[in-house]
Formats: sequence, structure tokens, C-alpha cells
Amino acid sequence: MQEIQKARLPQLWEYLAKKAPLYLPQQEDGVINFAPWQEGARVKLESLNTVLPPKSIVFPQWETYLHFTQKARELKLTPTKEPEGSYILFGVRPCDVAGITVLDRVFLQDPVDVFYESRRRCTIISLACNEPDISCFCSAFGLEPGFAPAADIMLWDGDKFLLWQSLTEKGETLTHSLTDLLEVPTPAETESVQCLRETAATVQEQKWGLDGVKERAKDMFNAPIWDSLYRRCLGCGICTYLCPTCHCFDIGDFSRGERGERFRCWDSCMYKDFTLMASGENPRPTQKERVRQRFMHKLSYFPAQHGLYGCVGCGRCVRKCPVNIDITQVIKEAGGSISCA
Amino acid sequence: MLKHPLFPQVAVVERISRETADIKTFSVAALKGGVPFNFMPGQCAMLSVPAVGEALFSITSAPAQADFLEFSIKKTGAVTDCLHGIEEGCQIAIRGPYGNGFPVAQLKGRDLLFIGGGIGLAPLRSLINYCLVHRGDYGNIHIVYGARSAADLMQRKELYENWPASPATSVYLTVDTGQEGWDGHVGFVPQYVEELGFSPQNSIALTCGPPIMIKYVLAGLERLGFQPEQIHTTLEMRMKCGVGKCGRCNIGGKYVCRNGPVFNFAELKKLPAEY
Amino acid sequence: MKEIMQKMRAEAARVLSSGEVDLVLGWEKGDLWWQSYPVFIENEKKAELLTWDLFCVPNLAKYLLEEIWHKKRVALFFKGCDALGFNQLMQDKRVDREKAFIFAVPCSGLVDPQKVERAGLHQGLLRVERLGDELTFVYKDREKKTAAPWFYYDKCLTCRYPNPVVFDFMLGEPVPVNPRERFTAVKELEGQNVDARFQYWQRQFSRCIRCFACRNVCPACSCRECIFDLTSPRWLGKATELSENQFYHITRAFHMAGRCVDCGECARVCPVQIPLTSLNRKLIKDIDELYGPYDAGVDPQKVPPLVTFNPGDPAAFLESKGV
Repeated sequence: MQEIQKARLPQLWEYLAKKAPLYLPQQEDGVINFAPWQEGARVKLESLNTVLPPKSIVFPQWETYLHFTQKARELKLTPTKEPEGSYILFGVRPCDVAGITVLDRVFLQDPVDVFYESRRRCTIISLACNEPDISCFCSAFGLEPGFAPAADIMLWDGDKFLLWQSLTEKGETLTHSLTDLLEVPTPAETESVQCLRETAATVQEQKWGLDGVKERAKDMFNAPIWDSLYRRCLGCGICTYLCPTCHCFDIGDFSRGERGERFRCWDSCMYKDFTLMASGENPRPTQKERVRQRFMHKLSYFPAQHGLYGCVGCGRCVRKCPVNIDITQVIKEAGGSISCA
Repeated sequence: MLKHPLFPQVAVVERISRETADIKTFSVAALKGGVPFNFMPGQCAMLSVPAVGEALFSITSAPAQADFLEFSIKKTGAVTDCLHGIEEGCQIAIRGPYGNGFPVAQLKGRDLLFIGGGIGLAPLRSLINYCLVHRGDYGNIHIVYGARSAADLMQRKELYENWPASPATSVYLTVDTGQEGWDGHVGFVPQYVEELGFSPQNSIALTCGPPIMIKYVLAGLERLGFQPEQIHTTLEMRMKCGVGKCGRCNIGGKYVCRNGPVFNFAELKKLPAEY
Repeated sequence: MKEIMQKMRAEAARVLSSGEVDLVLGWEKGDLWWQSYPVFIENEKKAELLTWDLFCVPNLAKYLLEEIWHKKRVALFFKGCDALGFNQLMQDKRVDREKAFIFAVPCSGLVDPQKVERAGLHQGLLRVERLGDELTFVYKDREKKTAAPWFYYDKCLTCRYPNPVVFDFMLGEPVPVNPRERFTAVKELEGQNVDARFQYWQRQFSRCIRCFACRNVCPACSCRECIFDLTSPRWLGKATELSENQFYHITRAFHMAGRCVDCGECARVCPVQIPLTSLNRKLIKDIDELYGPYDAGVDPQKVPPLVTFNPGDPAAFLESKGV
């Protein structure tokens, strides 16, 4: 285990940014999101979750994957160059790291999405949460606020320093290149951070129990909760777009004259045209079916397909839904226990 | 460079034939000739007209039947409108094949009952012609097909000539509303199936058509004694990727594009009623 | 507020049990301190769910558009801003005044959870109470008192109609009207040169994720079919390209011109904090200056300036050079 003094972080970022594009949480007009580091960047490590999850980097909201030219009857298709994968994500919270591993299940399963695969070659440096928010519930899904097993490097906040541990070979290699910046922590420092990690975990664990939720959610398709929960839904896409695991997408074309491109972009199961067919039929005709789909997908369908929940408890939808439609209410309905005090 | 799963290939629309007022059949070949890819009956492909968009269609030709793929397409939306406007020789984009297809191995040695309505004949036709090529592998073949009117019946040459001429193969046609010049059966497909009263003994039923037709066909077949496992249908959902990632064609935990589009009724009964 | 809440519950139970209405629309308290969300009550026994606190911000008027309520008589609670939205829906002929029974709830401001969070007061917070102009933040083992306006939504600080302009029954006493200047941000932007303004708005719009929350929450956005949802032709591409984002926001702002009631809900729900209030207020200010003061939603009988034409109307926009 090593550490870096917080005062030396700008030096670290400058160094890292020279090696590869470096994305970290930055504030612009009051909004904190992952953005490429540059001189004078307003880095905000201490805020918990960014507005958009780092999903927006590994699976951008829209990306072109083919170009076309159409002349008379002739059509030419050219693939877009694969995206660059050797970037660094710095300061990703453990729930968001877990969110990326959920996306992996979708995009890395056969047939592999090669653009996603390329972007997944990135290095993830995760920052542990000392004090999870009241709306956080990652431990409900077996995650730990103080540790992200799928990260390459794990950091813990010790006030004046960040404790540093590499978890993968990729992380180890990067760590080795930073000997000038990293120091050896004192046993007391290591211990203090260990203590924080345990506190963070216990704070959440006391709140949650998810025994049997997966099983019970399976039988919730006709549950009465859907008849009331959807009524206040505005049908906007906030919950889906801010979700670190929502991965639904649409495909669209844009063109000018003979040339054009085809892109893939995020889409939302909350939108009324999401499942609307050209014939006018819609298997999810009202907001009730759409709201049900989102929660059933997270708590029942995704586990059935991939063996893990499609929610990581980051709490973004809980915080940002304009009418407070709250997945924890659904979890409770499915037999999960939660105490918010 | 590795191939993006959504990346299509260029294909040529070699022939276009008009079936009905709003259905045309397109023969699509690879740029260098031959089928763009191999497939099994019941599988689908994503066709696209660049600048307009992509849409999923079932392949209506049978495997190894021709050196092109056939698609019977009804004019219903942006992509289909555009396809109906193109001329022979035009190039389009295609990717596939997608979906599970009909369980052809399971059908061997059985009597087959095909029940189609309107454009729903398209996927069934692929399997019908496949079975007729391998005629010895299957028992009796009954084909019940209906449309709104006589003018809306597609694949008329096969309905009237090729299929009835095959050994132990019978075709029953019906139209929703009678009109002058039509001396065949008048009535909806589900009722006609019950009137004809097929035996479930060693039979498999395969149906495709509008959702409302499928619903009543299923009920009728159950009344005739068919077990849910003996009835196969193909479902239609809005799809974008075709590979189980874009997240919109799921019914419960199943993706129609990957786990379907062919399901037997027993499987469907286990799924939430959202299709 | 507690007193009004008791009245709300009593009135809701009364109008439901008497059969005057089929449904009461109000707010219910969630598990977390900032959660007060719309609730649909059809049974008088459920009237106890109703709450009135510092977080009852969602406007209930737009739910009247839902088809399932069309044939029903609905009672609902309006704050000042909500009433303006309702009037706009009436003016647009989208709701029927006769079918709504309106309880007015004068409102002296609601608390913005983001301001609480920014002040670092959110950890362990159980609830927030108000006495006069003072807020009390209640935690498990302590309390903190502070001046209320510090934590009000910006839109509440500039609110000019805290007392509902349309109602059948008033709960509580009218509150004093004491708005701050609402065009400060607009004037600041107007003071900048074209390039700076353009850059400013480009930066804002580039953040848009096209979640459509601003449109869906807006009481002036009530088209049965929205141009931005049409697929054939598709006017708005789905890629969140800057030019498409601009097209979306500018088109929407112009459609709202003369109809925006300045309730500020669009800015409140925006997850990426696009200052939509500034965009809409610029149009309000221009309309005020060109055609005389007009407040959408105050009087649904009044003819809005942009749906009428007088030969004497100014045409400065035709004559001016540049912007």
C-alpha cells in the first residue's frame, strides 16, 4: 500500500494526462461530471456521485459507428475507427465501478460490442466513500462503499492524503511509474483509513436486507404497486440516463446530400415511443407498463439473464427523480428491508 | 479491425415483385452475388436504407432455395415506405441472421399445421418451402391462410399452384369479407381452423399473423386438443440491435431478438403478458 | 404548515365522502426528508396520506391531462405557481375548469434540497420545519436554525404570485408578496457581447442529455403530439449533438413565448442545471418591453400578446441590425 499527499494531486494529474486522456469529476456551471483534465481544471473529488455516471465515458450518449455514401443506386459503407481505449478514469466511486461491470455483461457478451470493448481497456482508479449519502444503498447489492474489486487502483481518502493500492496488473504498472509521487504510509495512516472503510460499510449494512428480493420480484408483474407508482411519473428520461447500469439504445442516421453516418444513442424505456411499432401496436401502451419494465428489469429480468442485479444502489434516481419515484420503495414492496433513519 | 456487431454489409435488391396493394417481395443478394449469409427458417435480418433507418424483417425464402434472400414487406412506416419506393438494382444494407428460427429438428416426422394471416405468411413460407424440399422428413402438411380480401393474399402462385401440387399437402384459404369473384371460404382464420377441425395427434401447429389473430388461434387450437408445447408462433416487437443489447424487445427475461422470435405456447405462458 | 396540512386532510376527506369529487390530487411524504411527491387519493380513508411541507414542489395541474381523469371530477391543491400553470392549461383549452375543485395554498417559499446539500446540512437530516422566517433542520440528536430564504428555490425568491390566482376554496391566509428582481440574470447576459452570450449558451446546451424532463413538467407544454417526438418526419435527431440540443431548447422557448408562466419547474427538474429560467425570462422581458407587461397564467380570459396583431405593434426586431 502507498499514499499520495493531496497537495501533490495536481502534479499527479498533469503527469497522468501526459500518458493518456484523464477523466475526472469536474465542476462546470455548478454541475459535476467526468470531463477530460486540462490545466486549471476544477476537480471535485470530494463530492460523492457525479451527475452522469462514468457510463457516459465507456458508453457515450451517442457515437457514430459507420459512414455511408449513396450515389444513384450505389451504396458504400465505411466503418468508423474504433475508439481509443487507453484513457484513465480517476475518482470513480465503487458503485459506479460496479455499474460498469453490469454494462460489461451486456456489451461483452456474444456478439461482443467492439467499440465498448475498446473503451473498456481503460484504467479505472476508484475512490472509496467514507460517508455514503442517505440515498446511497450500494451495500444492498453486496457492494462495499469502501472498496471496488473491479477497479485497477483503489484510493481511500485520509483527509490530507489518499491511500493508494493497485488491484490489477494494469494498476500495478501504472503505480510503478509513479514512484516519485507516491510515498509509504505510516501504520497509523493505514489504520485510520481501514477504520473509515469499516464504518462506511457498517453504516449501510445496518440499513439493508435484500433476502429473497430477486425471487419475489419475479412474481411482481401483477403487483398492485404498479397501479399507483406510475401515476405521478412524468415520463422523462432522468432515471434511465443518470443510471450507471441502464444501457438501452437506439440507432439513428443522419445525412446531408449523398453522405451520412449511422450512430447509436441512449434511449429510455420511459419514453412512450420506445416499444411503439410501425404498425401502431405498443406492448407497453401506458406509463404503468414502462415504469414496471424499468424496475422489473433491474430486480428480476436482469438477474435472470445475467445472474446479478441491474442496480448498484448509487441513488442517482432517488435523488434526481422530479417526483421522487424511488426504487427503494419497490425493493421494500418485494420484501427487502430498509430503514432510512 | 474487429467487426462491430451492428455493422451491416451492402446488398443488392435484385428483384421486386408486387404481392398486394401494400406488400412487395424483395430479392436481396450479396454485392458479389449469392446469399449475404446462411440462415434457418424463422430467422430475421435487419434491412436498412441509409439516411432513413433500419428495420427487422423475417426472411421469407427457404434456406438453399435460391442465391438470394427474399423479404415480403408491408408498407407501414418510414423504412418500409422507402423500400417500397426503390427500384431493382438499388443497393441497401443488411445484417443478420437474427433469432432462433423454427425448431426444424423437433418437427421431423410430424404432421404440420401452418396458420397464417396477412403478412404473417412471410416467416411461415420459409419453413413451408424448407419442409417441401425435405418432403420425406415430414407427415401431412396443412396450410390455412387468410387475409382481409382476396386481393390481400400474398404468394398466390405458391398458394394456388406449388403447394397444393406437393404430395400430402393441402392449402385452405379464407378471406375476412366476401366479394364478387371469390368463391372460397369467407370468415376469420381462427374460426376456419376450428371448422376444419385438425387433429392434434402427432401434429405441430405453427402460426403467425396479427396479434389478435394469434390470440384466437391459440384458444381455438387448445379447444381442438393441441397442447401448448405443440403450438409455435413467431412474435413481433420493435427491435433496434437484433443482438440482445438495445433492451427494447424483452418480454420479461427473454429477448425476442435472441431467444425468439419463435416461441412455443408453453414458453409464452411462462412469460408476462406483455406482447 | 401543520395546520394547513390538517385542513388539507379534512377537506380532502370531506369532498371525497360527500361525492363532490372522485379524486383528490395532493402531496404525500416519502421516506427521505426532501421527498414530497404527488399522490392520487380516491378513498377518504387515504386522506391521511396528504402532506404539506417545505418540499411540496411538484405542480399537480398537469395530471389533469391524463385521459383516465377526463371524465372525473378532481379536487387539487395549488400553490401560487401551480395556479398560473392551471390557467395556462385552461387558456390552451386543455383542461376544464368545471371539473376541477381547487384548494388554494398560499406559499411563502419552498426549500431547494440542493442548497441544503451545498451548505453541507444534509447528512443525517431527518426533516426541515419552518416557523415564521426561520428554518429548523432537525437531526437525530441536534437541531440547527437558520434564516429561511437562504434555502428557498431561486424561483421562490422571485415569485410574484405566491397566492393562487384561481381557486374555489382557500386554505390559510394570503402571504405577503415580496419578490426579488427576476430579470437580474437576464440583464447580466444582455450586457455581454454576442460572442460571450453565444459561448455561454453553447456551454449550457452542450450539457443537455435530452431527458425531456423540462418539457414533460411544463404546464405550457401540453400538445397531444410533440414535434420532438415525431419520427416521420423526425425533426429532432436523437444524437445529443450541440446543434440538435440548441434546436430543441430554442424551439421550445419560442413555443413557450407568451405562454410561459415562469413557474421555474423546467429549471428545477433539469438534472444538468441548464438555466432555462434565463432563456424563458429573456422572452418574457422582450414581450413585456415590446407589447407591454403581460403575465401568462394570471388571467386566462386576457388575449396573449403573441396571438394578436395590432397595426401599431412595434417591429423593432425587423429593423434592428444584428442582435
